[in-house]
Amino acid sequence: MLAVDVKNIKKTFISKQDTVEAVKDVSFQVKQGEIFGLLGPNGAGKSTTILMLTTLLSITDGRASVLGLDVSSKDKEVREKIGVALQDTGIDNLLTGKELFFTTCRLWGYSKKDSEKRTTELLELVGLKEAADRRVKTYSGGMKRRLDLGLSLVHSPEILFLDEPTTGLDPGSRRVLWDEIKRLRDNGVTIILTTQYLEEADELADRIAIIDEGLVVAEGTSDELKAGIGGDVITFAFENNNDLENAKNILKNTVQEKNELRITVEDGASKIPGYLKDLSSNGVEVSSVSASKPTLDDVFLEVTGYRLEGSEDITKEEEKSER
Amino acid sequence: MVSNRSFLVQLQILTKRMVLRVVRRPLAELPNLIISAFFLFVYDGALGGVFGGTASGTPFDFAKGNFINFILPVSIVSASLSGAASGIYLVEDIESGVFKRYQSMPISRWAIILAPMNVGALRVLLQSSLILFIGIIIGADPAVGNIGFLIVLSIAFIWGMGFAGYSVAAGVKSGSSQGAQAATFLFFPAIFLAPTFVPREALKGWLETAAAYNPTTYVIEAMRAVMVDGWELDVLFRGYISAGLFAALTLTLAVLSARKATEKA
Ligand SMILES: Nc1ncnc2c1ncn2[C@@H]1O[C@H](COP(=O)(O)OP(=O)(O)OP(=O)(O)O)[C@@H](O)[C@H]1O
Ligand SMILES: [Mg+2]
Repeated sequence: MLAVDVKNIKKTFISKQDTVEAVKDVSFQVKQGEIFGLLGPNGAGKSTTILMLTTLLSITDGRASVLGLDVSSKDKEVREKIGVALQDTGIDNLLTGKELFFTTCRLWGYSKKDSEKRTTELLELVGLKEAADRRVKTYSGGMKRRLDLGLSLVHSPEILFLDEPTTGLDPGSRRVLWDEIKRLRDNGVTIILTTQYLEEADELADRIAIIDEGLVVAEGTSDELKAGIGGDVITFAFENNNDLENAKNILKNTVQEKNELRITVEDGASKIPGYLKDLSSNGVEVSSVSASKPTLDDVFLEVTGYRLEGSEDITKEEEKSER
Repeated sequence: MVSNRSFLVQLQILTKRMVLRVVRRPLAELPNLIISAFFLFVYDGALGGVFGGTASGTPFDFAKGNFINFILPVSIVSASLSGAASGIYLVEDIESGVFKRYQSMPISRWAIILAPMNVGALRVLLQSSLILFIGIIIGADPAVGNIGFLIVLSIAFIWGMGFAGYSVAAGVKSGSSQGAQAATFLFFPAIFLAPTFVPREALKGWLETAAAYNPTTYVIEAMRAVMVDGWELDVLFRGYISAGLFAALTLTLAVLSARKATEKA
């Protein structure tokens, strides 16, 4: 049985002012025991999709099921099976971490005694034992995210929905969460997570769907997606704009990124001399050239026509912090 | 694992959690308490004297010699407005996303909505009792005997739940805690367009008309009857009916709006 089966779902918000097609046509399938990543920029429709799958939002059109249960008609049953950590963390700042876990355990139907036991287990699991008796107000962003994750695990759900679990975290805290999520997957939990970080999708997700403006524009494993581009990416850099504009006309089918042009071809390295000859015979000066295997970044650029903002900065930050 | 997810257990857990929230913010209890006590002290000390001794037609005269008895109902009505916190509590949870989290769990939606109402009711009882207690200390003495305190408290409770319902409806409708907070402004017309400081016979012109349509009038008069005049069953009846109708109306509005809030968009 599929963990999640989404068939052409659509969400249209209608208000007095205007009509927003937040999700236009999204389909994907998630197998049990895998981490599935929904990758997309701000406003792509990730949260809206998650809210529909977690029974918190009605589906305008199309169908979705979780473990074979229809999300719209079997919403109560679906809620039993899933754990949810939403993007806008619903955390009660005035209570302590321990009180929050205890209350949540009780609400899931555990007895007082079992709730105490489970609370201790979960505090340990998400590394909040020391801070257990502090009010959540005093927690850092990373601690709150871990708390949020812990709260979604109370009833040992088979399927976990995490909406941008690491947004706003520093690279160190992000790693901690990544490890935790992988460990859950290794214990058999199916995880559907959204992210706007390429590295996160690349590192965590067994399979990825790239979502943009309410549509799934690519789907597959990270390697499949990269292979889908075919061949290698050759990057030409230019020092002046004229050269760049001329090169654009000569090379055809390039994608521009600041002062660079990229072109995707089979067997890139062997084609570089030929390109350089064409360019220099037309009087175009190239300041540098390189060939590389495509990254997820390139895939994103290819399928959406633009680059995911900030993705490079994060990689740099991460390098810094690992030093 | 023993699973107990009955409605009552859930309501109890959610109520307890909300009581914790209230206890963690003790200062939030003060403004309404102070305003209520203010009526008691200032109007006793200042107005009781200003209106001039025990001469006929003065408040002292209406009060049959005990101005505390006359003004205590006003203080109690003011204290019962603390029920309006229900709406604020609920909207705080909506704003913080806690409400959504509960909705993603198999929890009865009625438990989610009733918990803040419960806490609002507790607050009304506690604040009203405290004011009553202060009243007793400074000399309140119901004409019908001590059972009068219970009658006053019961009317205050019904009235306070009316405000709780009103605040929930207003809060959910506006979707913000400011909206719920704004609900407490109803306090002004409620208190000032009523025979608050003098009996209704002493009100003139449009104020008299306004007071006649203000349910607060009948609530205060019922309490006042018990405190000052003795068993006046028709007045008492009108008081309970006014409070009861107000509560029934606003609680219905609250249920309707809350049902809408828990529906999927
Ligand atoms: N309740 C709503 N009413 C109207 N429009 C909405 C509503 N919720 C979301 N939208 C719109 O739908 C689109 C998709 O929003 P959504 O929150 O799903 O994006 P997202 O991919 O989660 O973005 P982010 O990365 O910023 O969280 C946006 O244009 C948003 O403004
Ligand atoms: Mg989102």
